[in-house]
Amino acid sequence: MSAALQDQGQDQDQPLLRVEGVRKHFAFTKGILFAKTLGHVKAVDDVSFDIRAGETLGLVGESGCGKTTTSRMILNLEEPTEGRILLEGEPIHALKGEALKAYRAKVQAVFQDPWSSLNPRMKVGRTIAESLIVNASGDRAWRDQARIDERVRELLLQVGLRPEQAQQYPHEFSGGQRQRVALAAALASRPKLIVLDEPVSALDVSIRAQMMNLLKDIQAQDDVAYLLVAHDLATVRHMADHTVVMYLGKIVEKAPTASLFEDVRHPYTKALFSAVLVAWPGRGEEEVELKGEVPSPLDPPSGCRFHTRCPYVMPQCSQREPALREVSPGHFVACYLFE
Amino acid sequence: MKPDMRGETVLEVRDLHTHFFLRRGVVKAVDGVSFSLRRGEVLGLVGESGCGKSLTALSLMRLLPKGGAQTIKGEVLLNGENILKRTPAEMREIRGRRISMVLQDPQTSLNPVFSIGDQLREAIERRKRAPNVEVMKEAVAALRRVDIAAPEQRIGQYPHQLSGGMKQRVVGAIAISGEPGVLIADEPTTALDVTIQLQYLKLLKRLQAETGMAILFITHDFGVVGRMCDRVAVMYAGRIVECGPVRQIFEAPQHPYTRALIASVPKMTGPVGRLTTIEGQPPSLMDLPVGCRFASRCPLVEQRCLDAYPAEVRVGDAHTADCWKVTPA
Repeated sequence: MSAALQDQGQDQDQPLLRVEGVRKHFAFTKGILFAKTLGHVKAVDDVSFDIRAGETLGLVGESGCGKTTTSRMILNLEEPTEGRILLEGEPIHALKGEALKAYRAKVQAVFQDPWSSLNPRMKVGRTIAESLIVNASGDRAWRDQARIDERVRELLLQVGLRPEQAQQYPHEFSGGQRQRVALAAALASRPKLIVLDEPVSALDVSIRAQMMNLLKDIQAQDDVAYLLVAHDLATVRHMADHTVVMYLGKIVEKAPTASLFEDVRHPYTKALFSAVLVAWPGRGEEEVELKGEVPSPLDPPSGCRFHTRCPYVMPQCSQREPALREVSPGHFVACYLFE
Repeated sequence: MKPDMRGETVLEVRDLHTHFFLRRGVVKAVDGVSFSLRRGEVLGLVGESGCGKSLTALSLMRLLPKGGAQTIKGEVLLNGENILKRTPAEMREIRGRRISMVLQDPQTSLNPVFSIGDQLREAIERRKRAPNVEVMKEAVAALRRVDIAAPEQRIGQYPHQLSGGMKQRVVGAIAISGEPGVLIADEPTTALDVTIQLQYLKLLKRLQAETGMAILFITHDFGVVGRMCDRVAVMYAGRIVECGPVRQIFEAPQHPYTRALIASVPKMTGPVGRLTTIEGQPPSLMDLPVGCRFASRCPLVEQRCLDAYPAEVRVGDAHTADCWKVTPA
């Protein structure tokens, strides 16, 4: 950690994006006028990870684990209660005015639902052009219509659509094509990082594969980094260089993807892997089945938040929170089984 | 599954055609579907959006969407009796008792303004007249059967007080309360988290073992198929293109579409590389080709594929494929 801090000035070691001890607590209140705060939902609780330039980080977990809140903080749509997020060494939540606009140009997003993320009354060429103009922040070159048209054309080709499709409306496209349009709009400002929130889960199997290949091609060409928020482990395995697994606002395991898939450590991650329905079951691996459901984040269990459902629970699990520890190079686990 | 529980065919669908008659033309969403389902069996019906799998299910239930959908041809034999010939009043007696359905989204299947108990009671009272106390006792038992903890308390609660997984269990409890011989499950776990999905599938399997009902399981997820189904039917553009035992379909898919579909699924093991994709789009259901419907995207396409729809070819034990290029067994 101290080495990383020392190297702030050194470009090779500095990650593109650093999330540092970030917490996000939402107050829940009763009443309207004289609202009383009844407690806090700890949606994200002490989360740290890095994303390197040109790499993909997979963020995995079930509903309510905090993966969406984390990505919203990275998109600067939500301010952390504690901790900070740095892009190229600069804290993002202090940004204002032009600097904030520049940040938005560098960090873009593609969301899950291609049916609701495009304006139905706007030709898709115009949607892409708007993204270009808004993010150009005063660059006079983008006032020239011919140049804009040329760039829109280029972007459509890059995402595998035909340039003349710029004149069509979203309803004329299939789900997969719309997701390509959303990606073209995100790429317009040549971002360094794109937050992909479940980008393929609304798509059909064969279209999903096309989209995943396209995302990989674009990364290879443009050296853009991805934060891939997903619940499908097989998708993460094919896309991500590093994977972070979250449970009830906490990171339970983070590792290089290859290392994680080879050697799953945390009991929760094991349970997630067991729950993935492989089309060829019966490989004789140990199966961890979870009883019950994810506890309410309003009142998370004490100690390790997973202890209420963990098949390997020990007395200390309910008392103190286990820290994230490195169990093999780059592979971190928060569990007493590995201390 | 005990061998004696398998056996007689409980549902047989023959050459089912359900079309949408619109001003713009006729959408042939289900266009010649045939399959059968035996007692205690799970048949998976897989395919991509718009292939007609959900409309097939709705045709079996005789619950077609308003706006021009009509079953124009075919037979749906439930225990040998063609239910397409039944009147709407007779169908109401059949639904829930002999054939039942669970939909994808439990949120919309349950009525938000009635308690869980009321909704279960409605299902039970449609079946028999009994004093309130007894009906409530049965409702509690039904909830216990689907693994809902503290059912006595849950019974007074409303859908919004339950998690997604629990709501889907309640829907399941209602669906099977009439002890139907056939259950149609249309993507029942798509809206659930993965660990909850596994719990639900195990529950369905257990209930099936207890009752011996046959399940038609509609999904787009091959993982779910591998876990749940005995046989699988693959649908493409309104027709079943391949049907056979799950193992055989996974290990040796015969139809080029099935092969491409299975190849394009990202795997949990093996090399991480480029995924195989299927180029192009399915044909418009308003303007279907005369030949094989997959021909425009098929790597093996020949002239005869374009000229005529291939006949069903027996390619193995209880395994068929509609393709000119497969070798008969």
